[in-house]
Parts: sequence; structure tokens; C-alpha cells
Amino acid sequence: MTKQTFLHDKHVQLGARMVDFAGWDMPVQYKSIIEEHKNVRENVGLFDVSHMGEIFVEGVDALKFLNFLVPQDLTKLSDSKAVYCQLTNKHGGLIDDLIIYKLHDNKYFIIANASRVDEDINWMSLFKTGYNVEIRNESHNYSMVAVQGPKACDLIVHMGIKNLPPFFSIKEETFCGYNVLLSRTGYTGEDGVEIVAKNEYITCIWDKLLSEGKAYGIMPIGLGARDTLRLEASLHLYGNDLDENTTPIEAGLSWSVSKDKKENYNGKDVIMRQLQNGVDKKLFGLKMLDKGIARHGYDVYYNNNKIGTITSGGISPMRGDNIALAYLKNDLGLTIGSNVQVMIRDKFYNAEIVDRPFVKKRNKV
Amino acid sequence: MDESMLCTKTHEYVLEKDSAYDVGITDYAINQLGDIVFVELPEIDSTFSKNEVFATIESVKAASEIYMPISGKVIAVNEDIVNSPELLNDENYADKWLIKIESNADQVEFADLLDYSDYKEEVE
Repeated sequence: MTKQTFLHDKHVQLGARMVDFAGWDMPVQYKSIIEEHKNVRENVGLFDVSHMGEIFVEGVDALKFLNFLVPQDLTKLSDSKAVYCQLTNKHGGLIDDLIIYKLHDNKYFIIANASRVDEDINWMSLFKTGYNVEIRNESHNYSMVAVQGPKACDLIVHMGIKNLPPFFSIKEETFCGYNVLLSRTGYTGEDGVEIVAKNEYITCIWDKLLSEGKAYGIMPIGLGARDTLRLEASLHLYGNDLDENTTPIEAGLSWSVSKDKKENYNGKDVIMRQLQNGVDKKLFGLKMLDKGIARHGYDVYYNNNKIGTITSGGISPMRGDNIALAYLKNDLGLTIGSNVQVMIRDKFYNAEIVDRPFVKKRNKV
Repeated sequence: MDESMLCTKTHEYVLEKDSAYDVGITDYAINQLGDIVFVELPEIDSTFSKNEVFATIESVKAASEIYMPISGKVIAVNEDIVNSPELLNDENYADKWLIKIESNADQVEFADLLDYSDYKEEVE
């Protein structure tokens, strides 16, 4: 049975087309994916992301426990700060990618992918023995909306939050009269916030954001535009670009991995070896030179040899061309400017390796 | 939409016009696809049997194959649609046929096609 968020009726009233996503009945678009995409880049967009998982990890060993599960060094995380993390397995492959927030000593909050939250809980529980820690999946109690775009923060300030948390930080706030967690994060490459609230508050918050946001050009945004926005920003999608057989180093996430972390963690030997010696396959950004759209699963060729696979691909509404992420063999000397071919419906289409992100991010404040 | 068109359950239509046929996809299909960003059409003079893939239409989300409602030979392709696929989403734009074909299809090929009104009922 597909699950519904507490905003489901709102989406239907707004005329959204609903689709199944990770077991949730979610809006894929309200009017037009392209229009919604551009509105997030130019004004502000409102997303229902209540399908995502909310996990609390509490206890005197919370830091030691979590630090064993991720390649990031959580000992360096101060109160109210967030860090982009990966849950790694013994081989360095990814159980999930997530954001870990330190609320305060001994209390951490995690946002996980909807499709992986149950797996995450199972995985974390496997390593719980010996740690004085409690893992609570609170996904069923919380809803979340994202407000993203160049005017997002102006809107939130206008609605009474005078001091926004800095980039990748979280604050307990009173918003629209309700207690919420307000986080300066997102999945679009734009500045903005994500607001986590108890389920019963979320429809009020949604309505208020839409009515107060009118003056800022707000639009509700579906998962279709969420996907094209994150692709332009070259943000990975678990299940497409990340999986249990892909390490953070192969995924181009070395920047997020601690190079000098003393403590052991799952997959550390593999990850450190790859940092030192390099990787056999690596994530590259492509732009199509020929008129064709590369999509998930299409094969990539170089000198008539198959060298990899597209993991995400589509149109870039802002660039006006077609872009993709692909895992390619790393021993061919491929670099920015190299030409490769994507097999689309049994025909070769030329593509060029380009720098990522495809569109400049504007959220580092 | 022209009420005399005949539709497939896979959302193509065929419409007899001046001893040839227009082939396209239904307004319902266009609406379901959302923003159309790429259209690939066959070459003139290529021939297709009924139910064969003759075109690909890509929305932002996915690529969809388009099937021949009846057999025939392509005598024209709508280059405007190839050059500006978004015209398919434009409510004020009328010329949404994809290809024109010559066809010797017999009654058997037409037997499983739906009248537009029946098609509408089917999809709604």
C-alpha cells in the first residue's frame, strides 16, 4: 500500500499529478516540470519532502557509535551543525547517503532517503551492541517541507525568523506558531531551508508559506523538478548514482570523506586505499553534443568499447542542453573535454566530459 | 481533437485526410507526458507494420515509444514538432500530427481501434 504524506490532499487540490516514489504517493509535477524548475532558480519553490526519513540517535555513546558508521569525522561537528555523510558497508559501498545534525551533546538527528530508511535502521542496529545509545525512527511522526531558491531566505525572514541558521546548520525555532527544526540545507543547489515539523503542524505551515510566499513568486514544486534541479547541481540520487557497490571515492565524494580521521569505521581500509591509489571507475559529468537525452542505464562507449553506464541523465532547463552523470573506467585518461559516445536506442550520440556541477551552486553563504 | 479520429489503447491516433492518414498521439497522452523535450520521427518513405515503433517522444521524465496504429508508408514528417517539441504542449497550437502515411490497411487492422468518444471514456 502506498503511503500518503500529511500534505496529500493539498497536492490533489493543487492539481498535481501523483506518482509512486519509494512507496509514497507523491506529486511529480503541478503544472510543468520546466516551469517549476526555473521558478526555483529564479524565485522560490516549496517542496513536500515528508517522505524522507527522520532518525534520532541519542545516548552517551551517540558520537562514538555514529562515528563508526560514516567516513566523516563527527568529533569535529559542533552543536547545531550538519554534515553530509554516507553510511558505508565493510567494502566501502553505500547503505545510504544522509545528513547528520548534531543537535547537542549526545543527541543527533539524521535525515535519510525515503527508500532507505528501514534499511538504515536495520544497518545501524547491527552495530549497536556495546554502545549506550538509542536509535529512534521517527519518520512517521514528522513531516518536512523544503523552501528553496534565491528568494527563499527573504521569505523565511519575512515570516518571522530574524536570525537564519548559517549554511549547513539547524535551529529549533517557532515558525507559524509551531515548534520546528529549521535547517539551512537543500537538494537544489540554491540557498534555502528545510523545515521539519510534527505531522499535525505541516498543513498550516504549507498553507502559510504558499500565501505569504505569493509576493516572492512561490510555486509548489514536484519531484520531477526536484530531480532536474539536483542533477544540474550534480547532487547524487541514492539508487541511481549511489548504491551498495559504489564507494564515496568512486562517486566523487572524496571531498566529504575525512582524510585524517583516527577512529575506525566500516569500509575504512577500502576507502583509504582508494584515496591513496585511485579507483577503477569514477563518476563523470557529461553534456550531450548530439541531440539526444542520456538516461539511467544507457551504456557509454569510447573507441567502440563499452566503458561505463549513465546513472542519471536528462535535460538541463537552465543550460538548455542535455546532461548526465556516468560511471566510467578511470584508466583511459578521460578528462574534461574528452569525447565519448552514449548508446541511445542502438545509435551512438556524442557527448563531452564536463566539469561538475553543471550549474553553479548559489547556496554557500 | 478531431472527433473522427481513431485511437489505440497505447494513445496514438490515426485520422483519414485527403486519401492519406495523419498519425499522432492523443491530447490525453500529451497531458500525461507533461513537458515534451525531444521528438524523433522516421524518415520519409520508410514503411512500418501495425504496432511497430515508428517514433520516440521524450518528456522530462522518460522516453516513450510510439506505435503505428495501422501499417503504412511515411509520406511526410512534422519537422516543426521535431525542431520545437514543446509545440505539442502548446494548447493554442493545432498542427500536432507527427507523420502522414499512405496505407493499404484492411478492416482487420482497424478492428481494434477505438472511436474518439470510446477512447475518451476508456482513459477517463
